[in-house]
Amino acid sequence: MAVAWIGNRETLVERAAAHAAALLWSSRCPVFSLDTDIHGTRAAIALAERVGAAYDHANGAAVSREVALFTDKGAMTVAPGETRRRADVVVIVGELLQIHHEFVGELAETVPDLSAKNQREIFLVGSNETSAPRLSNGRTATLLSCGEAGLGATLAALRAQWRGRQTSQPVSNFDDFAKALAAAHFPVFLFSGDATEGLALEMLQGLISDLNRKSRASGLHLPASENGWGSALASTWMTGFPLRTGFARGFPEFDPWRYDVARMIAAGEADLHLRISSSTVQPQKKRNRMALIALAKTQQPVAGAAVTIAIGDAGVDHQAVVYSSRTGSLRSVEARAASELPSAATVIRLVASHVSAEAALPC
Amino acid sequence: MLTKIAGGDIIDPVNGRLGKGDLWISDDKIVAAPAAGAADRTFDAAGCIVMAGAIDIHSHIGGGNVNTARLLLPEQHAAHQARPATTPLSNAGWSTFQTGCLYAKMGFTTVVEPAMSPGAALHTHLELADIPIIDKATLAILGNDDFLLSMIRDDASSQMIEDYVAWTVASTRALGVKVINAGAAAAFKENVRTFSLDDVVPSYGVSSRKIVKTLQAAVASLGVPHPLHVHCNNLGSPGSADTAAATIAAAEGLPLHLAHLQFYGYGTEGKRRFSSAAARLAELVNATPEVTIDIGQVMFGQTVTVSSDVMRQFSARGSAQPKKSVIHDGDGNGGGIVPYRYGKDFYGTMQWAIGLELFLLIDDPWRVFFTTDHPNGAPFTAYPALFELLMSREARTEMMAGLPKSAMALSTLAAVDREYTFEEIAVMTRAAPAKLLGLTDRGHLGAGAIADIAVYRREDNIAKMLGQAAYVFKDGDLVVQDGEITHYRWGKALRLNPSPDKAMLRRLVDYHQQRYGLSLDWFNFPDSAIAREQPFGEVACRT
Repeated sequence: MAVAWIGNRETLVERAAAHAAALLWSSRCPVFSLDTDIHGTRAAIALAERVGAAYDHANGAAVSREVALFTDKGAMTVAPGETRRRADVVVIVGELLQIHHEFVGELAETVPDLSAKNQREIFLVGSNETSAPRLSNGRTATLLSCGEAGLGATLAALRAQWRGRQTSQPVSNFDDFAKALAAAHFPVFLFSGDATEGLALEMLQGLISDLNRKSRASGLHLPASENGWGSALASTWMTGFPLRTGFARGFPEFDPWRYDVARMIAAGEADLHLRISSSTVQPQKKRNRMALIALAKTQQPVAGAAVTIAIGDAGVDHQAVVYSSRTGSLRSVEARAASELPSAATVIRLVASHVSAEAALPC
Repeated sequence: MLTKIAGGDIIDPVNGRLGKGDLWISDDKIVAAPAAGAADRTFDAAGCIVMAGAIDIHSHIGGGNVNTARLLLPEQHAAHQARPATTPLSNAGWSTFQTGCLYAKMGFTTVVEPAMSPGAALHTHLELADIPIIDKATLAILGNDDFLLSMIRDDASSQMIEDYVAWTVASTRALGVKVINAGAAAAFKENVRTFSLDDVVPSYGVSSRKIVKTLQAAVASLGVPHPLHVHCNNLGSPGSADTAAATIAAAEGLPLHLAHLQFYGYGTEGKRRFSSAAARLAELVNATPEVTIDIGQVMFGQTVTVSSDVMRQFSARGSAQPKKSVIHDGDGNGGGIVPYRYGKDFYGTMQWAIGLELFLLIDDPWRVFFTTDHPNGAPFTAYPALFELLMSREARTEMMAGLPKSAMALSTLAAVDREYTFEEIAVMTRAAPAKLLGLTDRGHLGAGAIADIAVYRREDNIAKMLGQAAYVFKDGDLVVQDGEITHYRWGKALRLNPSPDKAMLRRLVDYHQQRYGLSLDWFNFPDSAIAREQPFGEVACRT
């Protein structure tokens, strides 16, 4: 099975890696977009430092909104395990990604064993169009909505009403919500940056903060991308900064606008794009003659890529460490269907070994 | 390879070796002077002092809460960028890579991360594995987790509790056990806002004292070398000296380590009802030989407080500077991140003075440990300045001259003449930590010890001398020369490995399945997950 290509021509992985390294070395403004496990991220950041690249997650906008909540505002959060065991009121804030629906279903099917209430009520903040996770036993989440108002405005109205203030439009089913909160011991709000704008995330934290004046409440972060959040954590310990960090000046600089890799590509700033994703991704529109190096789980060269190297899927083809939103921390996963395909980390280290450097690679 | 460090002033209190002499290294070990044969390489240490590599027993260098602090404060990390040394935050070592390098430059070769949440053990060890040069270790947090509290409530046998503690230590690859405001994080989830030693966790009917005593006994019985590491209740509150005094009394003859005692050295005298109780606590420590403490010294400037004492951190949110914080209710403790600036005002000065009083009034350097509770009292990069304050009365007097007299009037610091000697520094930062942690292979310069060696060129400026080592060897590798890193290498995380009990393992499998809906595999990890050669080094339990 072919695993590496230069252009459309099949080649040895070693040669493809050497060619990728040469492209990275001669690039003026290389950018990396990541959708990979922890060790893939660690290797990519080490390579980025060596070649002066900027890096971001493949779905940088959503991850960046979640990062910004922490860098700009702070938050009150709770572990998923505690949510399952303690939350007597669960509030789904906006739309959650499909990957989180199973956990929401589990919350609907179970009762909190560490709560005196021994039952769980479920609410949904959104509009009539907000698609809610399917709940078992015919249960539906009680909708808290302000008609056409967006999520941020609905959360603002909810917060204002809870504090006894006037709102231009009342939140639907507010009385049920207020009654549930008054009886609750530990309400938990499920949130994600996927479809929720930054100000709405801040407003939610304001509401949680208000609730904590006299009783307890918290928020469960269900990330827009598990790989994205894992990469953000690894980047933070390695460089001190989350994603959207660049090494253009030889040391790490965090700038969520400047190092927004999608923006850098669209604006024609980047001249080389290293894309690391085990899933098959559609080619991105580009404005200049930017070269693409694609590390992907593929059996054929990625269209338009100067170099393609096949990699395995973390936790499928090889053992991996990934962020798990189910535990709220990093988790080791065995290969479900071990294959010969190398991990992203292995391939990136191979590329890095062809880039000249004085110091040994830290990963 | 045979290496000779020639002609230095050797300070090795463990082996009674004090004075000019040579030190020999063969590969990664210290050896006796060979009867014949020349060194393959020789380092001239004339005019230098030679000590074992330093060991820090309590510094928050990695793990979930530390990383959240980094995430919360990207502006703090501007420290790593090229900028003038005197600008704010320029000395805050912050990434894993910087952490290892900055510690090594000061001659530290082993550092303990004292607060690993068991659920985040893999994350913690991955961070520690990315800290270059030095060896690391962790303490696993227990005492707010439902499994333990339920066992205590249900009068489980001491054997069962020991089995659980052993499983936790083994599965998280820890070197010891820490309890943080025992029971308070669990109580906080039930909306309790203050919690003292004899308060009871509502749903369990178990007091904080009972949790501490239970864990203290389990740790001792298991032969875990490091005594239970206790973060007491009421951290930072005026009058918290009473809590610390009660906890010291609760040791009752069994070893107990109290972390960052400075944060409990607060009395309620004066018009602000905030005063130094350091002299009282020092007297208690002096009179209680089973108790060891570390200080958690405060130094002036910007830092961030990182603690698994979620109740305390929640109450400190209002003093956040800059005004943002993270409060996390975790499976056991969780944590809180609150940035803070220690100013030279009344309160900051009191805290600074109380820490120094404790250092200077506790007589036995084998029982008082050198920490700033990094980054809570100050970043560890403040260590050189702190050494100078301990070793020079003149430096303290100079500093006190610029501080509020109202604060100094409530402290005995001005009347204390003591100056630490190099021998006492060697005990406090080398010999005693190795003994406290059960690390017989380090903390001294005897034959057979690993070649972790710090060489400092003598000069009047103590902070400069101890801040930039002339040479540092880690496992015999030269890693620092003239204060600069010369060689990167990867240390190990030191761990205990008690055998888990099979019946306890079955109970835990059932517990996780029933309560979390997950197999225990979700929380375990193989060594290979760390993706480094030999990520761990095993330390034996006492028999």
